[in-house]
Amino acid sequence: MRILITSASHDRSAALADHLASHHEVRLTERAHVNTEHEFALSGLGHDRSTNLLTRGIDAIIHAVEPLPEEDVSSQLDAATRCTYNLLMAAAEEGVQQVIILSTLELMAAYPPGYRVTETWRPLPTTQPPTLTKHMAEQVGREFAREGSLDVRVLRLGEASDATVADAVIDALAQPASLAAQHRSKEEGAREPWLITHVGERPQ
Amino acid sequence: MNVLILGGAGMLGPYVARELAPNHNLRITDITPPEEDLPGEFLLLDAADLDGVVAAAAGMDAIVNLSVLRRDRQTAWDVSTRGCYNMMQAAVTHGINRVINTGPHFTVAGRHITEILDFGIVPDIPPQPGTNLYALTKAMGLEICRVFTEHHDISVQHYLFYNFKDPAAIQPGERYAPYVISWENSAEVFTLGLDIDLDALPSRNEVFYVFADMPHGKFSNEKTKRILGFKPRQDVEILWK
Repeated sequence: MRILITSASHDRSAALADHLASHHEVRLTERAHVNTEHEFALSGLGHDRSTNLLTRGIDAIIHAVEPLPEEDVSSQLDAATRCTYNLLMAAAEEGVQQVIILSTLELMAAYPPGYRVTETWRPLPTTQPPTLTKHMAEQVGREFAREGSLDVRVLRLGEASDATVADAVIDALAQPASLAAQHRSKEEGAREPWLITHVGERPQ
Repeated sequence: MNVLILGGAGMLGPYVARELAPNHNLRITDITPPEEDLPGEFLLLDAADLDGVVAAAAGMDAIVNLSVLRRDRQTAWDVSTRGCYNMMQAAVTHGINRVINTGPHFTVAGRHITEILDFGIVPDIPPQPGTNLYALTKAMGLEICRVFTEHHDISVQHYLFYNFKDPAAIQPGERYAPYVISWENSAEVFTLGLDIDLDALPSRNEVFYVFADMPHGKFSNEKTKRILGFKPRQDVEILWK
């Protein structure tokens, strides 16, 4: 499988690339240059042909939605919304099978301690990153899933090791969201190619 | 009331400015100068400029956001999504608790899902804009506003429009969208939104469909009439009579 991982400058993306590289072809991308031993493509995730070329031939995208170092809030919001839109639009046009958005369990931190919060509960973002930006990236991805142009799976990451996150990503890659949704639909009536999975402990 | 109007030099802006000017002090901004004289003060301002929006909101009691750029991806996201973030940050900074935001009908009711199939479409549905650039960027702006209202004492009224008409220019047999209003009638809702007691709103984030009474029943403007006291004019009925 050919996998594109965004936010290459972030430690989690680098760790994921290391984990996945043994069984998959991995390409990293970032909005600024990054030194890495993996294949790397510089991309502003803009609305142009370069984003289509970035995703061409890719089977799955892991979209980490992380800021660049020292990036201001407004720019982070722009990256989480506009750049996610450009990336997913290009992915849909190029026939990418699956997108995994790495979100955060901080979105559920405002629920009282001790509650058994599940993926079906409403996220409670604050007005600041990372919850606002991750939430907005989820929202953009949801509309692609709603229209059926992409299978989108959201992994909301809590306190979890790199290995745990890598295992969750591998599970997600092994089970395309649409198939999982179809399976789930037998019990819940859902048929959307959109799945959310909570990984690790919820911050409280 | 001191009112900041963002995007006030566009198509709807002059109608809103003329409607509000007799009773309010207006500070109107836009990324380009107005093509006609507008009442109040005018500032050149890009809604995507956070510092500029915050500065423009100083001393204001309310913000009305009419800004829209729908075709280019960069500017659509800048204006419709980041613009809302900037507006809400400005409201927080200056303690402004009354905001009126605007957008198209498919900010909440994506046209693929409801307009073709359904009737009696109301604004209080989970937003489902789809990936249409205009709808999605406005929906993300609405969501940002909603999140801010969860954390701050700010009420946001979202007025959603579809198709504007100049009654004098309507031609016999002219085709029309299932959701139409005259420019003058649309401007009147902003007076209602500035006058309403915010405690009379059901929540701090409310969506309203603003259009004339239409006989086919595709969309519903009942909430706008009931809560805001909006009175649709009968000035576009020639479209179907």
